[in-house]
Amino acid sequence: MRLTFQQELQQLEASLQEESCLVLRALRGCLNALEQHDVELADEVVVFDDEIDAAYLSIEEGIQSLLARQTPVAIDLRLVLAILHDNLHLERMADYCVTIAKLTKLVHEVTPDETLIAGFDEMGARAEEMIRVAMQSFADRNVESAETLVELDELIDNANRRVVQHILSLGSDPNLREWGLRMILVSRCLERIGDHAVDIGEQSAYLVTGEFREFTDASH
Amino acid sequence: MAVEVKLEGLSAWFGSNQVLDDISFTVPAQSVTAIIGPSGSGKSTLIRLVNRMHEILPRTRHEGHVFLGGEDVYGDDVDPVDVRRRVGMVFQRPNPFPTMSIYDNVAAGLKLNGVRGKRSGMDGLVEESLKAAGLWGEVRNRLKAPAGGLSGGQQQRLCIARAIAVRPEVLLMDEPASALDPQSTLRIEDLMAELKQRYTIVIVTHNMQQAARIADWTAFMTVTEEGAPGRLIEFDQTNTIFTHPKDDRTQAYVTGRFG
Repeated sequence: MRLTFQQELQQLEASLQEESCLVLRALRGCLNALEQHDVELADEVVVFDDEIDAAYLSIEEGIQSLLARQTPVAIDLRLVLAILHDNLHLERMADYCVTIAKLTKLVHEVTPDETLIAGFDEMGARAEEMIRVAMQSFADRNVESAETLVELDELIDNANRRVVQHILSLGSDPNLREWGLRMILVSRCLERIGDHAVDIGEQSAYLVTGEFREFTDASH
Repeated sequence: MAVEVKLEGLSAWFGSNQVLDDISFTVPAQSVTAIIGPSGSGKSTLIRLVNRMHEILPRTRHEGHVFLGGEDVYGDDVDPVDVRRRVGMVFQRPNPFPTMSIYDNVAAGLKLNGVRGKRSGMDGLVEESLKAAGLWGEVRNRLKAPAGGLSGGQQQRLCIARAIAVRPEVLLMDEPASALDPQSTLRIEDLMAELKQRYTIVIVTHNMQQAARIADWTAFMTVTEEGAPGRLIEFDQTNTIFTHPKDDRTQAYVTGRFG
C-alpha cells in the first residue's frame, strides 16, 4: 500500500470539501449583503475571497506535488484530475460572489425591489443547494445524485429568466436603468454558479466511470 | 518483417506445479506490449513459451498454442532453433561474452544462425545492427575491444544489437532495464520506440511507469490465491489500463493498493 500517497490524496479531497464550505459562506454573505443593502458585509465578502484563493492555491500546489512525486494512475489519477477541475470551479463560484458583492455596493442607494429580492433569494437558495448536492455527490461517488444537478440547474435558469423579465418590465426610468443592468448581472452570476455546480457533477461522473461526458449539450 | 503474436490457451507446468493457466491474447505487430504483474505471476514463463525456451528446462510442459503471424510455433514440423531465430530475446542482466570483442559479440549471433561468407558482408550486418541498437556512434572506433569494457547500458544495447542482427520478427525483453541506471534506461526505452517500427516487442517489466511510458498494449497477470497459477486478468491498451482499467484487481495493482 502506498500509505503516504493515499493520505495525501485524502487530505486533498478533504481540503476541496472545506473550500466548498468557504464558497457557501461567501455566497450566503453576498446574498445577505444584497438583500439587506449591507455595504460592510459586501466588503467582507470581497476580503473573504482571499481566504478562498489561498485554499484554491494550496490545493493546486498539492496536486502539482502529487503529480510530480507520485504519478497517480487509474482511480487515483481520475480523482486528482477531478479535484483539479472542481477546485477551479469552486474558485470561479467564489469570484461570482465577489462580483455580486461589488455590484451590491454600486447600487446600495437604490431601494431594493421586493419581487426582485424574492427572485434572488430563490436563486441563491437554489445555488446553495446545488453546491451542496454537487459536493455530496462527489464525496459519495454518486453519479445518480450528480445527474440531478441538471434539473436543479433548469430551475435556477428559469428563475434567472423571470428576474430578467421583471427587470425589463420596470420600464425606462433612467434612474432605474443602471440599477436594472447591475441586477441582471447579479442574476447572471447566480445562474453561472449553478452551471459550475453541474460541471462538478460531471467530474463526479468521470471519477466513477472513467469517461467524461457533459450532462447536457450546451451548444444549442 | 514484424508479425502479430497470438497466444491461445497457454498453460505451463514445472513438474507438477502449474505456473500459468489458460492465457490468451494477441500482441499486434509493430507494437510494444508490456506484461506487468507481481513476482511469481508467470510473466517470464509466458514469454519463454513464445520462443520455446520453456521446454529446454527439465520437467517442464505446456498446453496451448503460440502463433507467429498465423504459424503455430509448436507445430509438428517446426524447428525450435528456427523459432528462436524468429523470436529474439534480451534478458534482465546484459549478457555479452565479456572477453569477446564488440564486433564478435554481434557477429556471434549471425554465425550461430549460419551466416557465413565474406568478411565485408558480415561487417555491414554488424554495423547495421549496432546502428539499430543506437550503439554504433559509441563503439565504431573500438569494435575490436572486449565487450566487457562497455558500461552496463552499452552492454545491454550490445545484446539488443546481437538479438536483432539475425533479423527476428519478434523481440522479447525480460526486464531489460531493471539493472540499468535511469539514463541508460531511457536510452533503452527510446530505442524500443524506434525498434517497434520493425519488430513486434513484448516486454516484461516490474516498473509500471516504464510500461506506461513505452507500451502500446499492457497485459496484467497475477495469482488469484496462494499457490495458484498465474492468470491473465486484463489485456487492453496501455492508456486504458492506467486510466480506467476494467478489473478491480488491475486497478489495485497499478495504483499500488495491491497487498
